[in-house]
Amino acid sequence: MSRLFSWEGFLFACLIVIFTFNAVAAPDFLSISNQINLFQLSIEKIILALVMTFVIINAEIDLSVGSMMGLSACTFGYLHQMGMPAALVILICLCIGVAGGLFNGWFTARLGLPSLVVTLATLIGFRGLARVMLEDRGIGGFPDWFAALGQKGLIGPIPFALISFVVLFFVLYILLERSGFGRKTYVIGSNRDVADFAGIDTARHKIIIFTMSGAAAAFAGLLYAARVGAVRGDVASGFELDVITIVLLGGVSIFGGKGSLVGTLLSILIVLNLRNGMALLSITGHIQTGVIGLLLIASVVIPRTKLATPSFLKPEVTP
Amino acid sequence: MNPVLALRAVSKNFGMTAALTDMTLELFPGEVHAIVGENGAGKSTMIKIMTGIHQPSAGTVEVDGAPVVLSGSKAARLRGVAAIYQEPMVFPDLDVTENIFISATSGLLLNRPAMRRRARELIARIGMTLDVDRIASGLSLAEQQAVEIARALSQDVRVLIMDEPTASLSAHEASELRRIARALAADGVSVVYISHRLEEVFELANRVSVIRDGKHISTKGIADTNPQTLIAEMVGREVGNYFTKMPSTATSETLISVQGLSVDGVFENISFDIKRGEVLAMAGLIGARRTDVALALFGMLKTSAGQVTYKGQPLQITSSRQAIDAGIAYVSEDRRKMGLAMALPIRWNITLATLQKYLSPMGLINTGAEVATAWDYKKKLNIRTPNTDIAVGLLSGGNQQKVMLAKWLNMAPDLLIVDEPTRGIDVGAKAEVHALIRAFTAAGGTALVISSDLPEVLALGDRILVMREGRQMAIINHEDASQESIMALATGQKDAA
Repeated sequence: MSRLFSWEGFLFACLIVIFTFNAVAAPDFLSISNQINLFQLSIEKIILALVMTFVIINAEIDLSVGSMMGLSACTFGYLHQMGMPAALVILICLCIGVAGGLFNGWFTARLGLPSLVVTLATLIGFRGLARVMLEDRGIGGFPDWFAALGQKGLIGPIPFALISFVVLFFVLYILLERSGFGRKTYVIGSNRDVADFAGIDTARHKIIIFTMSGAAAAFAGLLYAARVGAVRGDVASGFELDVITIVLLGGVSIFGGKGSLVGTLLSILIVLNLRNGMALLSITGHIQTGVIGLLLIASVVIPRTKLATPSFLKPEVTP
Repeated sequence: MNPVLALRAVSKNFGMTAALTDMTLELFPGEVHAIVGENGAGKSTMIKIMTGIHQPSAGTVEVDGAPVVLSGSKAARLRGVAAIYQEPMVFPDLDVTENIFISATSGLLLNRPAMRRRARELIARIGMTLDVDRIASGLSLAEQQAVEIARALSQDVRVLIMDEPTASLSAHEASELRRIARALAADGVSVVYISHRLEEVFELANRVSVIRDGKHISTKGIADTNPQTLIAEMVGREVGNYFTKMPSTATSETLISVQGLSVDGVFENISFDIKRGEVLAMAGLIGARRTDVALALFGMLKTSAGQVTYKGQPLQITSSRQAIDAGIAYVSEDRRKMGLAMALPIRWNITLATLQKYLSPMGLINTGAEVATAWDYKKKLNIRTPNTDIAVGLLSGGNQQKVMLAKWLNMAPDLLIVDEPTRGIDVGAKAEVHALIRAFTAAGGTALVISSDLPEVLALGDRILVMREGRQMAIINHEDASQESIMALATGQKDAA
């Protein structure tokens, strides 16, 4: 009952409305190829949104994910062009993601700097490295198997990236909602001092989460390289804002301690369907972005109004 | 002569708790009026009513004999009432002049030369020498307070409330501040001086009022009273049944022995031991640094000297994890900041310090066991809530306190450090919490209870350690302790034995 009136319930209702509207208005909408395409076009962002959910529930932010994606993609192109075997380069790229995440985490958690500042710095730094490597060049000509992984279906028509997303969602869902690690993520985000006093190594926890974020961004960069088949210095520029928008729209509190992966998933589906529907109706990208901006504002305003939490939902407490 | 400011039968209730009852107080121009009382006696509530931050639930506030409504701190300032606190509120990046005129509202353009001239006059009026162009962050605490006083003067202050202004000052700075207070009074300002330091009160005040449990006890000319009388008036309340001392369950085995524990600049040379089954109570006023001793024992504050022997072994604790693993629990005095994650479910809070016990080898939480624990404590500690999945912040203070105790009792600690176990909770819940602590020691646990509530100290402590400003004054056996003797030590009227 209460689930129905929660933020997730509201998102679900929105999703149904948008989905139905799309299905009626655009006959192509329900076709399997359109449905896969809908995910595939934004697959990197929605993978990042899953990990960003952890980061923000932990009361931090990672602005560097777009740049790390770019750095990973460019490193792949650069080293592959130098003649290194693709499999080895993939490994190196993932290591770069881990190292970048450790860097963010260490400066945030151990030195106590605000993650907003630390990751703003690495947003610039990682992007700078990517541009230094590739300058103005674009690099393509990746191995066939790599391109196929990004562009063709792996199981039937379903591509590798989409399968990764689904698997990642379930693994991270269990991690956040069912494990001790997830519990600590919420508690630290809700009140770090309380966690410190309860004997939790909060700095270590934060470093792990930033490392997850860095690794996921590097992985997303590789997916991008495979899907598009070529990389440039400005790959994934500005992606971090779309990713954060999705997470906040999903009901994750920017102040930490609150939110869920189900909310993020619903938000992902809403954004994708909304954009897809508008595209099928030939509404331009700028207006699409505007509509999503309005939605984000609504997501901040609505939970604050009294209407959103009717009194019968508030538990009776006798003092 | 009319009082410049008067409270007439003012009461203030917060929910079910009465913070002030029938408070009547008259302040005359040109006097230094000291107000003394224990922690929680209602001094802060009274200040907040005088400065318009709180509105009285009943009674009236009068200025110059006419009833007024002080709808906010700005309204109070317009009537000439201002307050300064232990921590000065200055804008660190602005200079002295800008700080003094920060809320000046007349005129659109700033006339800097005139402002600096006026700032110099105001500083001179309180007998200070201070460059008005200095940036506030570079000033000493005392100088920052002088800036605050000058700011109040710039707004034609008539009643200046000073709340523990000397608590963080050195002896020299404190005497300087008292000189300023006297100068202001000589100038016709009514100075309200709140202090725990009785020697200060007797040096400075013309009259002194005692408040206790939110009620006005007495107002006397300073010549008509003495420290002993004031202490008796501060503590002499009716002692109800729940305050009767429960029998000691101490054994002969020493659980923890602390020798010469110090943290530089915070507290020094604290030594005590506690037997298994014993309750050691720590008494003292705000600023006695009792909580810091607890934090040091719990590994949250780095010690600079001293040894701890625990269960017969030397123990060096540098993190809360280590303390918890050693069987030491710390129930914080600050539920909101350090005690509970208010937005999260009761159940999550109860199992937080012991989460490891509920994890499978894969790291997944055994929700069934967790729910069982939470409901067990809900029943055992009589936590009044429909279920254990609602946010703990929705509970009343007393029930939140029980959740916090449940969290730490669940680790079955050997040493339970409880800091202000009953702050801000009603009498019924207090009795329940006291019974819980006693049940814990009767079952073989050992407790260190920090409390500013003297009846509580006497009801729980088998022995009582009194601290004052970072120093250990004495350890008294329960039989030899009284509220008066503890308060005399805590206020420095009686020296360390």
